[in-house]
Amino acid sequence: MSTATPTRPTAPPGPARPRPARPNRAVRVGRWQIYVPLALYLLFTLVPFYWMVVFAVRPRGSTSLLPWPISTENFETVWNGLGFGVFFANSLKVGLASLVATTVVALAGGYALARYSFRGRTLFLVAMLCTQFIPGAMMLIPLFEVFRTLDLVNSLWSLVVAETVFQLPLSLILLSGFIRNVPVELEEAAWVDGCSRLRGFLVVVLPMLRPGLVAVGSFAFINSWNNFLFALMFVSEQDKYTIPVGLAFTLGEFSVDFGALAAGGVVAAVPVVLVFAIIQRYLVQGLSAGAVKG
Amino acid sequence: MATRLAPRRWFRTVAALAMASCLALAGCGGDSDSEDGITTITFWDDNGGPARTPVWEHIIAEFERENPTIRVEYVGVPIAQAQQKYDTAIAGGGLPDVGGVSTAMLANLAARQALEPVDERIANSSLDGVLSEQVLESVRATVPDDKLYLVPLSTNMGVFWYRTDWFASAGIEPPTSWDEFFTSIERLTEAGQNRYGYTIRGGAGSIAQLLEVLYGQSGIEEVFDDDGDATVNDPRNVEALERITALYGKFTPEADVTNDYVKMVAQFDGGNIGIMQHNLGSYTDHAETLGADKVAAMTVPPAEDGNRTVTSHPVTGLGVFAEGDKKDAAFAFAEFAAGKEMNRYWSEQTGVLPANTDVGDLGELTHIAEATRVLNDPGTELVQLPYYLPEFNAITKTEAEPKFQQVLLGELSEKDFLDEMAGKLTDAQAAYTERTGS
Repeated sequence: MSTATPTRPTAPPGPARPRPARPNRAVRVGRWQIYVPLALYLLFTLVPFYWMVVFAVRPRGSTSLLPWPISTENFETVWNGLGFGVFFANSLKVGLASLVATTVVALAGGYALARYSFRGRTLFLVAMLCTQFIPGAMMLIPLFEVFRTLDLVNSLWSLVVAETVFQLPLSLILLSGFIRNVPVELEEAAWVDGCSRLRGFLVVVLPMLRPGLVAVGSFAFINSWNNFLFALMFVSEQDKYTIPVGLAFTLGEFSVDFGALAAGGVVAAVPVVLVFAIIQRYLVQGLSAGAVKG
Repeated sequence: MATRLAPRRWFRTVAALAMASCLALAGCGGDSDSEDGITTITFWDDNGGPARTPVWEHIIAEFERENPTIRVEYVGVPIAQAQQKYDTAIAGGGLPDVGGVSTAMLANLAARQALEPVDERIANSSLDGVLSEQVLESVRATVPDDKLYLVPLSTNMGVFWYRTDWFASAGIEPPTSWDEFFTSIERLTEAGQNRYGYTIRGGAGSIAQLLEVLYGQSGIEEVFDDDGDATVNDPRNVEALERITALYGKFTPEADVTNDYVKMVAQFDGGNIGIMQHNLGSYTDHAETLGADKVAAMTVPPAEDGNRTVTSHPVTGLGVFAEGDKKDAAFAFAEFAAGKEMNRYWSEQTGVLPANTDVGDLGELTHIAEATRVLNDPGTELVQLPYYLPEFNAITKTEAEPKFQQVLLGELSEKDFLDEMAGKLTDAQAAYTERTGS
């Protein structure tokens, strides 16, 4: 018994039909809908930066809205007069040390959380998360007491330790998510080939964590770079202040040195912008992977 | 192969960064103490920054030249965080030997026994008898035990900055009475040209300035009467407030309702305002922007009864901290800074009133000379604002500032506003009296 299967009439073969105009118009409208808000948002975001650059480079007393003629007067004031050269070096030291400390400890802790099962793991994670709700200002005096006992007050190490402690919970959670996404079978294969757990981790897992490490490291560096409160409170020597404290010096009791403030802002922003420019590819990848799949 | 090299590279990078950071940070600990017979004291400047730091550097250099066995380590603290920095150091340790302290924070520091009384030291020093009595009275009035907890360097005074060129072109003289003051404001106003005779501080910091014009007009000399009741809502003060608020929107910009210091000065220095109330500290801004020949200061005019009442302003000075073990050296530095020569230099550079009466004439800074004359004039009554009340800031800032904005907008009557503030001040004063027995 034969059955006839109805088939849809198909168009005769021939040259491809031109695309209908309607979807095209729809796409164009869609683009405008994207670009106009984006442009407005970009304008809103960039105007303060433009203001900062204009105030930083225009000569003192100028009211020009354009960054021309360019003067380095404000930069000389902040770099030499206010001591931003020293502050910059201190910020860099603290930022790099915090980055290393946070990343290394978070890597070890994150691996333990991802690969080992132990009692209270969930509770530990929740506790880590809860620490994020405590503002740094509340911990100021207890931390001060601890650092005084450890003879770390007035040392840049106090800032490194404090920054690392405050960065760790989020970094741990993020990195454990990344490590969990690396199939354990890959490690097991390395073990079968004779690798120890550490070697297996270094050879197989670590290279796959680069986006996560970049995300965690950059957050640690930038947060440390921008931290004002700890830098002011734990340090009481002019030569050990960091950039954010230097910026506060431009705000006087009866006047604000806007030129110096803007120049200081540029000096403070450049490393952060550069870090973002270099790592943004990894950062976006890292954040989305850690956040969604973790 | 590549996968084997990658971790090494990571390791090398991490190790190198860690090593570099350790080495860099290793040199950043340390202590400062006596060495080779030299005593090192730490000095915190509570208003560090490009304006004040060079002044202190000069004073320190002069001090070290005259006292070669004492070295001063300068630490600048941004003014907005000075109180917090002291608070943290009191709670956690690490106070300096000597530090910049103003009467605005003195009650708190003295109550926590962070500062050493300096009455006896001053009496036995070169400062005995040369410090302004008005200034000393202001410092003593801040604390319940009537002691001096700081060596005063300077104080401030509320003045009215005015545009000399506007007055000249209007053909009027600077006012010498309150009636003339209000008439001048009306005559200087050309709202169509965006020129207003006056600007009211309606935003942050409004109440301290408001109290100055209220007590200045009413001539009332005390914030609390003999029964401990606040005089803020005295009918004469209510009337004075009504005269001020009547200016709003007609002879002042309507935006004044949110005026803080920055906006107020921006309007005045931008050329839209004829008279602006502030203190001596803003002179440099006005002179730089408008030109020294176009701006001058007048002191608060006398009240109808002929009394001139000015409200007290925070006194700036140096406190010797009780925790330190180098108090002699710390006081020597404070004494040197408050001495005639350095106090004169300090006042010239920072544009404030010197506490040392030997300083005398300050040359071109005529507004300071006039303010000094008024402050030390026996006919001037100093209305001591109760900075010693822990609630004073909350009452006059957090609570009263938004209410004053309601008054300006016509949503609250002048009397109700002052009644409420007076009630809170009276309660706070009663609680204070009960606590301290004074």
